[in-house]
Amino acid sequence: MAAPGSTGAEAAASPMAEGIDHLLHELSVIPLSGGHGEAAAGFTLTNYTFWLIVASALLLVFFFLASRKARLVPEGIGNLAEAGVDFVRNGICVDIMGPEGKKYFPFIGTIFFFVLFNNLLGNIPPALPGTGTVGTTFVWAIIVFIVYNAIGVKKYGAVRYIKSFVPSGTPGWLSPLIFLLEIVSHLLRPVTLGMRLFANMYAGHIMLGVFAVFMAIAIKEFTAVSVVVLPLSFIAQVALRAFELAIAVLQAYIFSILTAVYINGALHAGDH
Amino acid sequence: MIGSLSVLGAALAFGLGGIGAAIGLSIVGSKTIESMARQPEMAGRLQTTMFIALGMIEAIALLGFVLAFVLYGVS
Repeated sequence: MAAPGSTGAEAAASPMAEGIDHLLHELSVIPLSGGHGEAAAGFTLTNYTFWLIVASALLLVFFFLASRKARLVPEGIGNLAEAGVDFVRNGICVDIMGPEGKKYFPFIGTIFFFVLFNNLLGNIPPALPGTGTVGTTFVWAIIVFIVYNAIGVKKYGAVRYIKSFVPSGTPGWLSPLIFLLEIVSHLLRPVTLGMRLFANMYAGHIMLGVFAVFMAIAIKEFTAVSVVVLPLSFIAQVALRAFELAIAVLQAYIFSILTAVYINGALHAGDH
Repeated sequence: MIGSLSVLGAALAFGLGGIGAAIGLSIVGSKTIESMARQPEMAGRLQTTMFIALGMIEAIALLGFVLAFVLYGVS
């Protein structure tokens, strides 16, 4: 999708630096419509949002097809969807929060499947993962932050929820410090949640890209070294691609399980 | 001068961050296997807890990775 990288200004120091610059340009956010700066105030379609919309459409089609012929013993695509839904509901929600976790399945399930489809789509070569940009991941992280705090406030009331940041039995002189620490740790949660997903997707694509750059240079300037570099890079590329598929599923799992853990923490805030 | 130093800083940020996270991940992994071997019936819960811990530790290394790119951009 991305336009060929002609960074121009810092032209051709070495083929390696040139290749890396090209790679970073291709992974950066490139507007496909609208303008830069002030002109881009409204909605701008970028290379990342384009693939995000594609992934969301695929998600919609997948669940539409799966739920069209609902029956007691599912077949084909319905079987796959039910296995996924069962995994999120029993493996994540009920496992972490107990029976009352079923109430939060729609929220956590939405996050899980959205992140999973975006991560997996990013592994098909021309596509980029919609989750590979801070714009997407931080919005989800902030939504999670607002939701779990709202659940805590709704259950215990604002005053009791904030009081619960300091565990009972803390010496009086220590409580302001503990309170401050808790506030900081709560504020850091959305940052690490968003950063983890973004950095995993971005780093994975850079790793794949670096080996592709190795191969491109080895072919372009064919020397004796190329005979060694070429097959090694190819093996690394294939192995990393398999690793990336595992990471895509694992990150969707970690994102949703941490959401469940945070909601569980808010639900039991007043217990101690 | 600033440019070359920030490239060095980027390498250090990712390298040292990676060392710390690798030690943490290996401790988590080995302890989980150990506990699973002792109490196989707890394997499910241990695995869930392990993934949570992995996610937390991994974030530290990835913060170093992002910092490395910020420093590379400065150069």
